[in-house]
Amino acid sequence: MMPTGLEAIASTDLPPLTRQRPRALWAAAAVIGLAVLLPAGVNQYWMQIGTLAFVYWVLIAGLDLIIGYAGQLAVGFVGLLAIGAYTASILCEKASWPAFAALAAAGAAGALFGFLVGLPSLRLKGFYFAMTTLGFSTIVTQVALGWERLTGGGIGLPGPIFPAPLDSPVGFYYLALGMALLATYLLRNVAFSNFGRGLVAVRDAEVAAEAMGVPITRLKLVTFTLSGILAGMAGALFAARQTYITPDAFTFDLSVLFFIMVLIGGRGRIVGPMIGTLILTLLPEIAAPLVMWSNFLYAVLLLLVVLIVPGGIAAFLERLFVKTAKGEGLEAPAPERLNAVLGQHASPKVLTLQGVALHFGGVRALDGVDVAVWPGTVHGLIGPNGSGKTTLLNAVSGFYAANSGRIVFGEADLAARPSADRAALGIARTFQTPRVVGNLSVLENAMLGAYRQFTTSFPAVALGSRHGVIEDCAIRQRAADALAAVGLRRLAHLRAEQLQHTEQRLLEIARCLVMQPSILLLDEPAAGLSHDEIEHLQALIEHIRSLGVAILLVEHHADLVFQVSDEVTVLDVGRVLAHGAPAEVRINPEVINAYLGA
Amino acid sequence: MPTLAPERDGALLMASDLSAGYGAIRVLQQVNLSVRAGQVVALVGPNGAGKSTLLKALSGMIPKTSGTVSFGGQDITRLTTQACGRLGLVHVIEGHRVLPSLTVEENLLLAALDQPASARRARVEEAYRVFPEIAEKRHLGAGSLSGGQQQMLVIAQGIVRQPRLLLLDEPSAGLAPVLIARVLEVVAAFRTKGTAVLLVEQAVEKALHIADRVYVLVHGRIVLATDAQSARAPGVLERAYLGAAQPS
Amino acid sequence: MLVTILVAGIAIGAIYAMIGLSYNMMYSTSKVVSFTPGQLGMIGAVFGAWFIGVLEVPLWLGFLGAMGVAVVYGFFTELVAVRPVLKSIEQHLYVLTTLAAALMIQQVVAIWWGTDPRPFPTLFGLGAGLASEKYWLPVVACFLAFIGLELFYRKTLWGAAFIAVAEDAEASRALGILDVRIRVVSYCLAGFIGALAGFMGGQLLLAFFALGATLTFYGFVPIAMGGIGSNRGALIGGFFLGILQQAANYFVGGVFVGVVTFAVFITVLLLVPRGLFGSAVARRV
Repeated sequence: MMPTGLEAIASTDLPPLTRQRPRALWAAAAVIGLAVLLPAGVNQYWMQIGTLAFVYWVLIAGLDLIIGYAGQLAVGFVGLLAIGAYTASILCEKASWPAFAALAAAGAAGALFGFLVGLPSLRLKGFYFAMTTLGFSTIVTQVALGWERLTGGGIGLPGPIFPAPLDSPVGFYYLALGMALLATYLLRNVAFSNFGRGLVAVRDAEVAAEAMGVPITRLKLVTFTLSGILAGMAGALFAARQTYITPDAFTFDLSVLFFIMVLIGGRGRIVGPMIGTLILTLLPEIAAPLVMWSNFLYAVLLLLVVLIVPGGIAAFLERLFVKTAKGEGLEAPAPERLNAVLGQHASPKVLTLQGVALHFGGVRALDGVDVAVWPGTVHGLIGPNGSGKTTLLNAVSGFYAANSGRIVFGEADLAARPSADRAALGIARTFQTPRVVGNLSVLENAMLGAYRQFTTSFPAVALGSRHGVIEDCAIRQRAADALAAVGLRRLAHLRAEQLQHTEQRLLEIARCLVMQPSILLLDEPAAGLSHDEIEHLQALIEHIRSLGVAILLVEHHADLVFQVSDEVTVLDVGRVLAHGAPAEVRINPEVINAYLGA
Repeated sequence: MPTLAPERDGALLMASDLSAGYGAIRVLQQVNLSVRAGQVVALVGPNGAGKSTLLKALSGMIPKTSGTVSFGGQDITRLTTQACGRLGLVHVIEGHRVLPSLTVEENLLLAALDQPASARRARVEEAYRVFPEIAEKRHLGAGSLSGGQQQMLVIAQGIVRQPRLLLLDEPSAGLAPVLIARVLEVVAAFRTKGTAVLLVEQAVEKALHIADRVYVLVHGRIVLATDAQSARAPGVLERAYLGAAQPS
Repeated sequence: MLVTILVAGIAIGAIYAMIGLSYNMMYSTSKVVSFTPGQLGMIGAVFGAWFIGVLEVPLWLGFLGAMGVAVVYGFFTELVAVRPVLKSIEQHLYVLTTLAAALMIQQVVAIWWGTDPRPFPTLFGLGAGLASEKYWLPVVACFLAFIGLELFYRKTLWGAAFIAVAEDAEASRALGILDVRIRVVSYCLAGFIGALAGFMGGQLLLAFFALGATLTFYGFVPIAMGGIGSNRGALIGGFFLGILQQAANYFVGGVFVGVVTFAVFITVLLLVPRGLFGSAVARRV
């Protein structure tokens, strides 16, 4: 769970996250204070362990973004550590560069290779990507071993030495601490931003992320690059701490260890992986007999975390420290709040389908369909299953490409555009099975609707740009209004996976509204809703319509469709069977027959 | 809407207050349904009503959130699909899903896998007698059969297992009319053999002709349970399907 | 020179191919790509060396012993690392659990057997030089395994049941097939095949705890090339990789064998993601 900004809490009427923010600040201050004072209190041995933990954390912070947030199984990340280490060491030893310049160069090398490692992640999933990263780290060690003239081969070479007073153990401790704090700052900024939410959305609900216009490729690559920078710099620091590096230092085991540090901590969290890093660095030191068994224990830990506590340490901590309102459910929707959300949305556009045909293999899902949806109207789309209703929605929202015919929205011909562009054009949709991002809060889910409207760049956000924070607050306010409009205000801080099915449907609608769309495509929003809930839904739809948004409503609930629509189109086996005002369509004998399937 | 209570005495299959769904989505809401030995019962309703889900819940293919199911007097609520099959409750799933890279013969032999090896051949021959159309293709890959032949094959797989009750999910979907008639003829013949059938069908009119009773499922609830004769009266089904909005 | 490259290449290629067969076997009934086949090879080599070389039991007993350990490990993998996560929607979990299982066995062996490579005993003492058994034993084993599997799938009803579960697990369940039991058996069988690779190839590979990591990657490359699920692809990919590696070793130098392998791997994966023989199931009809 990500704490909201103080300003944001003050300006919205959402239930406050009681006790979390002040507690978190005190805890952070205490930890930093402890870290600063540590060298005074313990002997050099423990201080050096601390240094190692800080160095690891610089890498893990970046890896947390990749594994924890983006959900990419980069098992072989140790290769980037090695690249950073060797870059810095070679530049210092062979080219006499100053240490800080070498540190920067290591970061640059890490950026380049981080980017390269990120490229396969666009095409390869899960196991295949994991295997690719493993192969990558194997090569790095092999090249380090083989290119003797440059790397010293099996003998290795000395690491960089930082200028005094940073070359002493105490000085280096503070350097490592400083870098760890910097890494934490970067991680925190990205994680709590639009980009962090986008990454989690891509990880857990890629289809929904696409529908909201998240540029998946760009986001992944930029994340890998940042992680590469951190890993490269960690490598340089690692080489300095070890004072001498050989290919042996970068083993497969170390790579898996990093991986486990993130997972034990909990995906999509910061504090958890931090604690995980600390524990796993300390483990072999605390229990001497465990050293031999430490790798075995890491593996057992990984298994246990995955099977029993998938949320990791973070989930455990959350249960202790974070109290969210329970038992307060849905309230009556407040559609008036929509005025604040949709106030100045894009200029009204007409959606037109002409002769649209779509077939899968031999099946003609859509067989020459003409539909027009006008702004400020509700157009109902009904028909028996297999009639093509959802296919039509998917064609409009860009998940399927029509084989013939035209789909035009406003002035844009949609055929040429990829699905991720639909959001930018003002097309928002919900899904038959709600696709919400379970691990984000309800409020964060709603904020995802405005992803495309966020203008601050990734580097600026990472460095803590004020502009980014301001934009974030504005979007947060808009999302709060949208949640209030659909009746989810009291549930804003729950994780979306804790919501009931019907509440998730409403969340999807709120998310769409945050996008300030010109047209809203609703895919069976009333399925599973009680009578009262359907009434609320109807009121909501009517209010959205009154604000000038076009609505295409695919539904099975005949009552709802006939009551709320201005026009109804009936599809059957991919063709338009009937079209017109609800009163006419409902008594059309062909329509009745189609439903009974005689 | 007149809803008769399900016949409780002598029921071979009985579902009581059965609710089931997928994850957070509740599809079936407190369904009560029963089938007697040797009866053919039709389960109809608009698409998305949950008919296939109901069959899957009955045969244990999806977990039930509440309620019970009993078969032949035995509580089968927690049993696996395979265990239900051994008791005689056989589920033929929708979509004529044969095993395409195996031969027709192998598809049938696999259905007989939990029977003793000596009996398998006899079971398979019996199935060929019911569906001579597939007998002549016995050594061909099941993937090369037409849709209609594949549908006959999956029903044949059901026959091989000597069911006491057969759950048939949309056996006529996508078939040419003459094949639909053929399939429904076979289903009607089950009654004479004493095999009960719970039949989900899109071709409502045709199903009503061979059924004894009919249940109408709308949005996961049984809205009508009556004998087939009464269901054929004009307007009865329409009212059930389209709800109160339908003008009389 | 060319002959050496070919002979050694085909021998080591056969080992890779068998690891590939193991990957396929596990995948076919569970749709899980497991991290354990490489470790199975290691088990075959290490335990073979232990039973026969250290304990000095008769050959057939040592063979059974090594295979037995692998079968148990395969059973353990299915029970602990695969079954619990099959129900989960998050598909990537099996990557983590099988990785954990692989690491566990690797570490246990490292602690018990030691971290230095130890020799694998000569099994039959047949042949010498390029005709030595260490070259042709893996090849014979590989072909026997491949043919054995083909016969199993084609001629036996159990084999048909395997194919059924691989093709359509839901339809198989509805037919009354015990899909869980079949999956367990397939993991045990995969254990046997993987360990066979390590046992028969032991004289080439040596009994080394880190063998698993190497075989995990090199044994997966044939799968990437041939497409997961295709045994034919695994064989061809394996032999190709073996020969390629030996050639690279000779022309470019031993250390860059990994680079060449990786280059081939990543190229094939990005250009032909489904593999050259790509199909989800070993089709026979």
